Amino acid sequence: MKKVKIILLVLLVALVGIQFFPTTRNQSKTMPKTDFTLVNDAPNSIKKKLQTSCYDCHSNNTAYPWYNKIQPVAWILESHIADGKKELNFNEWETYSNRRKKSKLKSIISQVKDDEMPLTSYTLIHGDAKFTEKEKKELFQWLTKLRDSI
Amino acid sequence: MKHLKLTTGILAIVFIALTITSCKENKKDQDKDDDHVTEMKHDDKKMTHDNSDGHHDDDNADETTDVRDIKMNTQKSSSTTLIVDAYIQIKNSLVADNKEDAAKGATALLAAFSTFDMTTLKGKAHTDYMEIYESAKEQAEHIVKSPIDHQREHFETLSTDINDLVTLLGTEKTLYQDYCPMKKVSWLSETKDIKNPYYGSKMLTCGSVKKQIN
Repeated sequence: MKKVKIILLVLLVALVGIQFFPTTRNQSKTMPKTDFTLVNDAPNSIKKKLQTSCYDCHSNNTAYPWYNKIQPVAWILESHIADGKKELNFNEWETYSNRRKKSKLKSIISQVKDDEMPLTSYTLIHGDAKFTEKEKKELFQWLTKLRDSI
Repeated sequence: MKHLKLTTGILAIVFIALTITSCKENKKDQDKDDDHVTEMKHDDKKMTHDNSDGHHDDDNADETTDVRDIKMNTQKSSSTTLIVDAYIQIKNSLVADNKEDAAKGATALLAAFSTFDMTTLKGKAHTDYMEIYESAKEQAEHIVKSPIDHQREHFETLSTDINDLVTLLGTEKTLYQDYCPMKKVSWLSETKDIKNPYYGSKMLTCGSVKKQIN
């Protein structure tokens, strides 16, 4: 019993200890003019869906869950957001070259089509982030039109 | 016994903490590498470049630069050889359904781009090159780390990039631009025979030659 107590105590100390590691927070109050939905004048339904499903990791503003400041959750979120923004940042869309825009539109369609995005680890918590077949169809139609216009 | 458990516990925690922090450092290193790659390389592989007009470095000389580029195309340029070779390596690996070799080819492609001398490119040619380079680099990075169906998707975009690069800068090789009617995408090949990289052994000979380069 004593051993168990010691282990629990050590774990508790460690858990408290890692809370002091700082993380970068991804938050911004304004939507930049270079944003994907603004520049391309996205229909409201698509704009809302993208914000719900993609913007937490693919923009400069994350709607953090309440437990976001608890480690190690904060670390996991931080790394996902950094990776996500490196691949695609909707807020910086207009700074991309036409070549990059086309390639990104292609990737968005294929990732959502194959249910690779949003990540399963994300949709487990954010059920509303999942795309229904109808939402997919609407999104792909609009994105394909956009891609052909570039 | 007590001490043993305690030490093991502490060690485990230290290990976890270190793993997490070292992951972060790795990432930073990668970023540094990226910076390094985008630095221009000034080596002495400069192409035959006419300095006699004395004002070719002028920023307003876009038009003359463009004319020069067309000339470069008609001359057989060797500046893109390493890049095209690495691309062909990826292509042939995908034809052979070999994910590992495709990843190696993509690594070779990244290396080829990092040694490319872009100091001779001015004005629009330079901007065009940079856009192609950024896209090709991104596709190659994905090909390095992805499963084969994903590699093939990125190879589609990469094919457009390399084709545009060859149009922009020329090549000393004889290449064939092939077209896959199923995917509605092109690819470049060094052989006249059709070997479709988008499906591998499943549909190896599907497609047609659209254009011969050189």
